[in-house]
Amino acid sequence: MRKLISIILLGIVATGLFMSISQIPFGEPGERMGDHFIREGVKETGATNIVTAVVVSYRGFDTLGEVTVLFTAAMGLGAVIGLVRRKKTHPVIEPASLIVYTGCRFLFPVILLVGTYIVIHGHLTPGGGFQGGAVVASAFLLMYLGCRGKRIRENLSRGLESLGGLLFILLGVTGLLIGGDFLFNFLPLGEAGTLISAGIIPLIYLAVGLKVGSELAGIIDHLIENTDELSE
Amino acid sequence: MEIIAGILVLLMIASAIAAALFKDLMNAVIASCIVSLIAAVLFYLLQAPDVAMAEAAIGAALVTGIFVIAVKRTKRFEE
Amino acid sequence: MEIFGMILIGIGAAFLLIGSIGIYRMPDVYNRIQAGTKCTTLGSFLTIIGVGVVQPEWFWKTLIIAIFVLVSNPVSSHALGRASRKKRISLYEKSVVDKTDEFTGQQK
Repeated sequence: MRKLISIILLGIVATGLFMSISQIPFGEPGERMGDHFIREGVKETGATNIVTAVVVSYRGFDTLGEVTVLFTAAMGLGAVIGLVRRKKTHPVIEPASLIVYTGCRFLFPVILLVGTYIVIHGHLTPGGGFQGGAVVASAFLLMYLGCRGKRIRENLSRGLESLGGLLFILLGVTGLLIGGDFLFNFLPLGEAGTLISAGIIPLIYLAVGLKVGSELAGIIDHLIENTDELSE
Repeated sequence: MEIIAGILVLLMIASAIAAALFKDLMNAVIASCIVSLIAAVLFYLLQAPDVAMAEAAIGAALVTGIFVIAVKRTKRFEE
Repeated sequence: MEIFGMILIGIGAAFLLIGSIGIYRMPDVYNRIQAGTKCTTLGSFLTIIGVGVVQPEWFWKTLIIAIFVLVSNPVSSHALGRASRKKRISLYEKSVVDKTDEFTGQQK
């Protein structure tokens, strides 16, 4: 009965969505902004990756909001896990086999290298702070799964996270002081397509990468180390 | 190219239905991981490599890891 | 140089095909893991290196990717096989020898 009701409700919602969306012409340019970004984006921002130009330069303030959303999520998780009363028992966990241990330790720097590459080439090739930060955090996930007992120092991850946020805000405020706009691109644009170009865009993506990577790694650390196994 | 995209979409729908139907939650997590992985490939085929990268790193790696940890800490089987 | 790279990609693709046939034909989990791992490791290694040889400016990146595949593929297969052995998934009934218990007894 509940399933039937839910299916009927789903059908009503789907019909409403379809009725409302079918009026919008699909595939036609509704606004002129997209054309402008594609034609003038490289000239105005110096970043050859248009997505990065939009995310960091044209819509930089929204990116600050996104980073704040992630920060709030990590903080909420820390609060919820901190509420649960933990027993001070340390259950004996069977270690991973030697092959897995050695393999994880070998793969960790390679994944870190890929993540850092994605972060610092965000203005040239696809990728950027969010993607690279997630890759870096997945390297830490591998270490937590394969080599139990190794942890990042909590102060270090918190410090890096705060440093990332601080760098973002400082760059924005410096732009406000020099150019009159928050996140104004005050550094020279340079030659498009080289590593050191596009003004403050690589610096902002570095800050975002630091913040995202340390936040996600902190979430994994909280989940793995600070909760107890539920006995079945 | 369209044939490949069609096959991938069918696989994605199949694994999404499987993720909803599995009683063993660990299997459901793996099925949702497959959904994310195919979504990443589809994003790449649709020429959105930025989104594909984010989907592969977050959807396929991190979310799967966090879900596996969460399932291990709570109940494994759905009644 | 380009032809050499193409030959490498061709050999790699052939190994991948053999690996997929092996996964389809083998009787139980362990044989399938074995067929899948060996053939796909060599196949993807050769394919990626071949791409690097065809496009010389990508060579170092493809080398790093190839080393990553070369390490991660056997390690993950080992973890899979060990996990399925711990779950006591039974062997193929015509298997001849099984020394897992003896061996894990020697390890602590």
